[in-house]
Amino acid sequence: MAQNEYILETEHVSKRFGDLVVLKDINLQVKKGEVICIIGPSGAGKSTYLRSLNQLETITSGKIFIKGRLFLHREKDHTVERIDKETQKALLLEMGMCFQRFNLFPHKTVLQNIMLAPIEVKHEDKETVKKEALELLKKVGLYDKANEFPNHLSGGQQQRVAIARALAMKPEIMLFDEPTSALDPELVGDVLQVMKDLANEGMTMLVVTHEMGFAKEVADRVLFMADGIIAEEGTPDHIFNHPENPRTQSFLRSVLNV
Amino acid sequence: MKTFLKELIDIKNWKKKTKVTWCVVLAVFAVCLVLSFLKPSESDMKAQASAEMQELLKKDETSSRKRVTVTYNSLFVINYCSFSSSGANAISEKYVGFAGKIFKADTGVGKFTGQMVNYTYRMLGSGENILHGAKLTLFLTTISMVIGVALGTVLALGKISKNKVISKICSSYIFFFRGTPLMIQLFVVYFTVPAVFGFAWRDLFAAGDDQAVYKGAFIAALIAYGLNSGAYCAEIVRAAIQSIEKGQHEAAKALGMSYGQTMKMIILPQSVRRMVPPVCNEFVMMLKDASLVFAISLMDITTISKNIMTSEVSYNVFLPALVIYLIITAFFTWIFDAIEKKFSLYE
Repeated sequence: MAQNEYILETEHVSKRFGDLVVLKDINLQVKKGEVICIIGPSGAGKSTYLRSLNQLETITSGKIFIKGRLFLHREKDHTVERIDKETQKALLLEMGMCFQRFNLFPHKTVLQNIMLAPIEVKHEDKETVKKEALELLKKVGLYDKANEFPNHLSGGQQQRVAIARALAMKPEIMLFDEPTSALDPELVGDVLQVMKDLANEGMTMLVVTHEMGFAKEVADRVLFMADGIIAEEGTPDHIFNHPENPRTQSFLRSVLNV
Repeated sequence: MKTFLKELIDIKNWKKKTKVTWCVVLAVFAVCLVLSFLKPSESDMKAQASAEMQELLKKDETSSRKRVTVTYNSLFVINYCSFSSSGANAISEKYVGFAGKIFKADTGVGKFTGQMVNYTYRMLGSGENILHGAKLTLFLTTISMVIGVALGTVLALGKISKNKVISKICSSYIFFFRGTPLMIQLFVVYFTVPAVFGFAWRDLFAAGDDQAVYKGAFIAALIAYGLNSGAYCAEIVRAAIQSIEKGQHEAAKALGMSYGQTMKMIILPQSVRRMVPPVCNEFVMMLKDASLVFAISLMDITTISKNIMTSEVSYNVFLPALVIYLIITAFFTWIFDAIEKKFSLYE
């Protein structure tokens, strides 16, 4: 298997809830450093696809490779090839995730939120982790909020902390599940700026988003998903300016009010 | 001064103005301290007996069969002394001492006050061992709630476990202990279990210990109450755990944390705050359920008041019992409020 050139690859990923088919045979190859935006109407399976990549949803069938190594292989709702737990966990940690509703741990301070996983999961040295955590907070512009509780911060600040928390695990891929959908419009900018910086640093990113401007500006590739399949994919220029699929055209018309 | 008095009357804002609360507490404490110094001494009280009674007392000194019973109780700021003789022309005299003065307490307000002091003194279990009166109630409730919360946490985690066998066992336990009366459970632990396994609860203690029977009964009660509150606490803990939003589990999983780590570091600490109000409720229920120990010969507040009622035919005895229960409840409600506040820091 020579998947080595791709950092993330999915083959024939399908998911169904009973009779409802959510994902239909999705194939995707992601190169290192690529920024991919997934757009599409709600119910298209965008979030489900993203969440199934790091096993928050269990897929019905398909293969997922991470850094060229098999991460998951299931057929007909059963795991076909057993991958040993250590490898699987190591591969899981290559993916950092940010959620629509941030999901910060409310009983821990911002700094504790960021430091928790590196210390408990990776067993790293506490002092080093703290230094890195403060560095990350500086990066997302929240150095002075280190000892606040998350619920005392605005939504935008919370999402930036969530990004820092995911980055603290030093993932190679970042998954963003509608990171700005739960934010007030005026707070969206700061979060997008942090994501742009991240993209410019060469982070591989998969972003499910409704921010078309962000997709246009930052994405290397845009996927348009509808009814559980990737209906159309291509460069932002292709998708936004010359869409071929009628579904894409009608979706963009309604979103961009053209 | 005027604003200070206003704040005093404004009970609603007491919690916010802890300063004022402390002033009140300290003032009450100071007054009590002064009153307790002014309280007549025991010898003064005993010297009050009438000439007739003195004569009887003097006779008692030489005879082996005492005719006069002397009771002396001292309760914080007030004390009470009664003399009663037995025999053909029995007489009884009662005195209440307060703020340096001694009042006769044979009729009216004096009699009522004397009774209250005497009953409260007995219900608090003053001068008795720790398995008596209010002390028994307190110990039993507190220790069995500690057992209950610990056991409840284990049971709750078991019940929501993905392992069907463990989950079924825990559900059955909860079903059993919530579905049967506490008193029967107490009887089973105290009578049935020793009968089946051929031991007696008092055997847990040394043969020479004259309190062995009570201590044994106390251990049995502790086990029964602990097992019972474990079942109720399990449901409280389970509800609290399941009220934590799913996103917390997902975030922890995405960060690579195991189920155990997630529970220990993310879910349980957050559920504690949601557990406090219902656990407080359960605590107060348990405090009152503790009165069921009268059935296995333990002397708690309720048992004592019932005994006083039957022996002295006095129905006032239940008033101090109510007050004692209320004070204990108020105290623990205050403690639980403080705990809740401490855990709501991040909200």
